[in-house]
Amino acid sequence: MLEPPASDAFTTPPLTRKRKAAEATLVHNETTAATEASVALSPAATGTPASGNSTRKKLRSAEQDPGTDSTSGISGSFSVPARTKSTDLNTPVSTTMESDEDFMSIGSSPDDFLDTQGSDVESLDDFGDDFDGGFSKDKDIIATKRKPYEVESSVLSPEDIRQQQNVQINEVSSILKLPPESSAILLRYGRWNREKLIDSYMDHPETTLEEAGLGANTQVNPRTEKIPGFVCDICCEDGDDLETYAMRCGHRFCVDCYRHYLRQKIREEGEAARIECPGDTCNIIVDSKSLGLLVTDDLKDRYNALLMRTYVDDRDNIKWCPAPNCEYAVECPVKQRDLRRIVPTVQCDCKHYFCFGCTLSDHQPAPCVLVKMWLQKCEDDSETANWISANTKECPRCHSTIEKNGGCNHMTCRKCKHEFCWMCMGLWSEHGTSWYNCNRYEEKSGSEARTEQAKSRASLERYLHYYNRYANHEQSAKLDKDLYLKTEKKMTSLQSQSGLSWIEVQFLDTASQALQQCRQTLKWTYAFAYYLARNNLTEIFEDNQKDLEMAVESLSEMFEKPVPELANLKVDILDKTAYCNKRRVILLSDTAENLKNGEWTFNVDW
Amino acid sequence: MSLCQNRLTEERKQWRRDHPFGFYAKPYRTPQGALDLKRWECGIPGKAQTLWEGGLFKLDVTFPDEYPTKPPKCKFVPPLFHPNVYPSGTVCLSILNEEEAWKPAITIKQILLGIQDLLNDPNPESPAQAEAYNLFKKDKPAYEKRVRQVVRENPVL
Repeated sequence: MLEPPASDAFTTPPLTRKRKAAEATLVHNETTAATEASVALSPAATGTPASGNSTRKKLRSAEQDPGTDSTSGISGSFSVPARTKSTDLNTPVSTTMESDEDFMSIGSSPDDFLDTQGSDVESLDDFGDDFDGGFSKDKDIIATKRKPYEVESSVLSPEDIRQQQNVQINEVSSILKLPPESSAILLRYGRWNREKLIDSYMDHPETTLEEAGLGANTQVNPRTEKIPGFVCDICCEDGDDLETYAMRCGHRFCVDCYRHYLRQKIREEGEAARIECPGDTCNIIVDSKSLGLLVTDDLKDRYNALLMRTYVDDRDNIKWCPAPNCEYAVECPVKQRDLRRIVPTVQCDCKHYFCFGCTLSDHQPAPCVLVKMWLQKCEDDSETANWISANTKECPRCHSTIEKNGGCNHMTCRKCKHEFCWMCMGLWSEHGTSWYNCNRYEEKSGSEARTEQAKSRASLERYLHYYNRYANHEQSAKLDKDLYLKTEKKMTSLQSQSGLSWIEVQFLDTASQALQQCRQTLKWTYAFAYYLARNNLTEIFEDNQKDLEMAVESLSEMFEKPVPELANLKVDILDKTAYCNKRRVILLSDTAENLKNGEWTFNVDW
Repeated sequence: MSLCQNRLTEERKQWRRDHPFGFYAKPYRTPQGALDLKRWECGIPGKAQTLWEGGLFKLDVTFPDEYPTKPPKCKFVPPLFHPNVYPSGTVCLSILNEEEAWKPAITIKQILLGIQDLLNDPNPESPAQAEAYNLFKKDKPAYEKRVRQVVRENPVL
């Protein structure tokens, strides 16, 4: 209930700013589009050697020397408003989030931690360097450089994750004056929402401990004991030298049974954060100290790995990198509810680009929801059904599906031998003398059927238009990738054939990577465009798309040239690579800006 | 002796020494006449002052090799009309689920008492058969009538 007025107060000024910025983008787009026209001529122009050279030189200076040419002046000033905008806008936006975070959100956010740090001076020192302190420092540096479609993120190694946990555990431990292993259980119970946890503990310490599975009295040093006359309730063994163990709940079992129970939980059930005491109806959680006393090292490793997994799963702002065999996680402040406005592509240290929202591979500029809809559409056979409805009819009597394979309108159903007219679907016998020419064409029922069919055909064609281009880029990216695998070989042979050094042939590698990235982007622009309702913005979008596509195709063509020619094409390839990358940035910046400002209109509800 | 056998032997001793009134629990015998500790034949009486009073319901309890790490399987023979009993007769109860509330320290006595409690206090959150569940949710009088009939069909001997 508190949200609308609060966010209103914050967003009104940025909105006007945004609008101005958007207008600026429009102007720039038009001018860049105009210059692009001359640039696009270059591959053709290279055919004639004399003029080709000069065009190339001009092109290069346009792209690489800032300030010498009008083109670069424009592209330079293009990125300026984008930059100022991102700093201007991000700050108020994130403030809004923080403020409603305090009231509304259950999940913790890095901002929460920053807040408490301010109030807790002691811990600031050891905290600042490796977690959020570092984060906020990054914010200052990166924010100025970040493009509109980029999001702030950081990669965490398993060691970083372990440290993050420990830092928070120690923090809570010192605030609440509890042993670290108890704080760990509390934090896991509270899904690492420190603020909420501390509040709840301060208000009702006993209930909080009880619910978290801790119980009131804490234990100092766990140890196993021999107790005369003891009988284990699990194995029914007794004996005066039987080693036994009990947590603070007092449910005592022999060490063998305890160990067996823990092994079963950790190995077989993959449980770690919430292993309860083996006693009947006892919900006390086995803490890490007790566990450390009882189990072997290999089990402890597994236990810690499982704890780390639950930690990442519990935190909404950390996700595992989905690449095979990658053990890193990525931290990013983008929330689930922001996904309508942002496509948060992040890069892991393993070089994998993925979407933080849905963990699929990078799908900028299309937002997650549309991506899901698109993939669903491509996957299921709804389009097959569409094709059937556009190209076939049903026999009016037995309802078998019939495709007309040419010939006259006199249809005879192969199944039921029903004879009818393909045009009007009426009985053939009623056609009287007008054989082979249906003059009942203008009848109402017939015309309705026809418009229905035309509509269905049009929507099918529209889908296929986008799908073919989407699939083509996917296919080409695969082929380019095959080529990429051969690139290294190419580079070696280029070194030996043209006497270029290793560093001088690196341009092939760069070009190949640019191709991959641009095709990935292009592919998703088609899925995105399928859901876009037409307006002026889509015109600009399509221009940007076309520019990038043409650049990518010509780069791809150059890339495929035989090795001896490659050395001569080096400058061209370098230029084209830079140009492709630049066009991609422009396309993505434009779409991301519009998405953030809610400027796009879509032809679907999502 | 294995943990499973050892524990079951002890359970049997305990049961013979003392068990709740009206219940019975004894291991089956193999065709050769030896005791099969892993399969028990049990009887659960309906609680006094409930709909189920006067009935005695036969239950087969089968212990896995991993017992007591894993819970035994409890099955009414013949299958019982009850929202939390599967059509096969298997009982759906949290303490009998290793991923829920099963603990190695739970004894046969506790299991049988737990099932007795369940009879008159079904858990509508985890229905196991459609017939009893639907009547229980939509037509209490019909449900109660059916229960009384089930009790008549399974009288205390």
